[in-house]
Amino acid sequence: MTTLIKLEIVRALRNKKFMFFSVIYPPALYLIIAGGADSKPIPGMKLDMGLYYMVSMAAFGAMTAVLLGNSERIAKEREQGWVRQLRLTALPGRGYVAAKIGAAATVSLPSILLVMIAAAAVKGVRLEAWQWLSIAAGTWLGSFVFAALGVAIGYLATGDAVRPISMLCFFALAFLGGLWMPLTILPQWVQNIAEWLPTHAYAALGTAVEGGSAPHVKDMGILLGYLILFAGGAAWLYRKDTRKA
Amino acid sequence: MVSFQGVSKSYGAVRAVADLHLELHPGETVALLGPNGAGKSSTLDLLLGLRTADTGTVSLFGTTPQRAIEQGKVGAMLQSGGLMEGVKVKELVGLARDLHPRGYPLDRILATAGITEIADRMVGKLSGGQEQRVRFALATAGANDLIVLDEPTTGMDVSARQTFWGAMRRQAQEGRTVLFATHYLEEADEIADRVIVLHRGRVLADGTSAEIKARAGARRVTFDLDEPIDRGALEALPLLTSLEVSGRTVRIQSQDADATVHALYGLGLYPRNLEVAGLGLEQAFIAITTASDATPATAEEAAR
Repeated sequence: MTTLIKLEIVRALRNKKFMFFSVIYPPALYLIIAGGADSKPIPGMKLDMGLYYMVSMAAFGAMTAVLLGNSERIAKEREQGWVRQLRLTALPGRGYVAAKIGAAATVSLPSILLVMIAAAAVKGVRLEAWQWLSIAAGTWLGSFVFAALGVAIGYLATGDAVRPISMLCFFALAFLGGLWMPLTILPQWVQNIAEWLPTHAYAALGTAVEGGSAPHVKDMGILLGYLILFAGGAAWLYRKDTRKA
Repeated sequence: MVSFQGVSKSYGAVRAVADLHLELHPGETVALLGPNGAGKSSTLDLLLGLRTADTGTVSLFGTTPQRAIEQGKVGAMLQSGGLMEGVKVKELVGLARDLHPRGYPLDRILATAGITEIADRMVGKLSGGQEQRVRFALATAGANDLIVLDEPTTGMDVSARQTFWGAMRRQAQEGRTVLFATHYLEEADEIADRVIVLHRGRVLADGTSAEIKARAGARRVTFDLDEPIDRGALEALPLLTSLEVSGRTVRIQSQDADATVHALYGLGLYPRNLEVAGLGLEQAFIAITTASDATPATAEEAAR
């Protein structure tokens, strides 16, 4: 099982094109969106644009890399028959899911760090050392949830359908979770739904820390719940996959 | 150790496997022989737990296919088994070794499969035959009790094929049970000590290749006759399975050529240019499957 995780990580690192865009894209987007913003607090929040977007773009970038990357590659691997071959080994379903999450996490970590570096260097974001560390760790660990979702989608959808399905999940989650714009400027009913989405809880980890407090237990609970749901579902689908794909 | 009890599997209206009963015993090398669409791959998929049967049960080593695979008792090489891309051959084989509860040393696996020279190559850059050898390495990365191969020599040239079967024989000599699907009759004839002929998802014949040939009428007898040919008398010859008369030439298939020829002289005939030849498995195979096509294959087809 550890060999598979190692191998998946090696593969991810060898895929230079994928690596480059996944890593470069979030900090670039961060600078474009938050670049021209002033340092006034966002309405209804204590944070300014530079701070808010640092967390949401780090989250967004990590999510892009792991969710879209995972689902498409898995659907492709199923089509090629590699997953069929893998199912003939003693590898348990959770091993497969763990390996895919591990590979995704390898890609997401540098992109998270780059967004934070860009925020500090260009936007002059200053935080306590513990805040930097907890934001990085929280965003990184939180990305596992979306990696697991990516694995599950890769199993639910085949070939042509996987891209639209993962894109739809991705945009809905990113928008409703407040990764693109602060939720406080959206209608109340959107905010009510958003509160229970993994993306909202994900970004909330970081914003809570930026505000000077520890992440809320509720958000961590929501993320953990989704992680168990997605990873369990993905492992189940891996073993149950009796289609020809 | 491998047991199919009344197993059926349909895809929509197509009945791929129909009420299959099958038992494999330890140490056998068994060929699953049949034309395309006979149900070979479906049977292997069911055996490996990649598909679930509509009815009946499949058991491996007294347990479910999935459990047997998790215990590392089965190695398999699939026709459609893709390989992981973006890794080196030795990394992929190392993965199979590490996943196996009783994996062999990497060098040994590579040598057995004949891929030591390409160990450092990227998996995506292999030829078809090389890919097949890598798949074989994945199937034999540990101490399995059963090896399942679905048309393993597809895409291999003649010499690669020979090397492959050499390696396979060694696996069998080490006491493993080997089950392979093929439509190459000579492979079944040469390698297997038991041949199961599958047709329309059913077992049509099951025995040694000599027995299969005997069942189809194992010997072919050809001769010329001068006098006007009395077809009725020839048809009455003992152990005859087919008769063909063209001009003065008579072609007979017989289960016992000696007895048939003896009876021929007994009729007072003087056959000239007498030739007795063994029937290849291929002809036997065609004889068996055509005979089956002529008669309704299943009860429900008869009811139609």
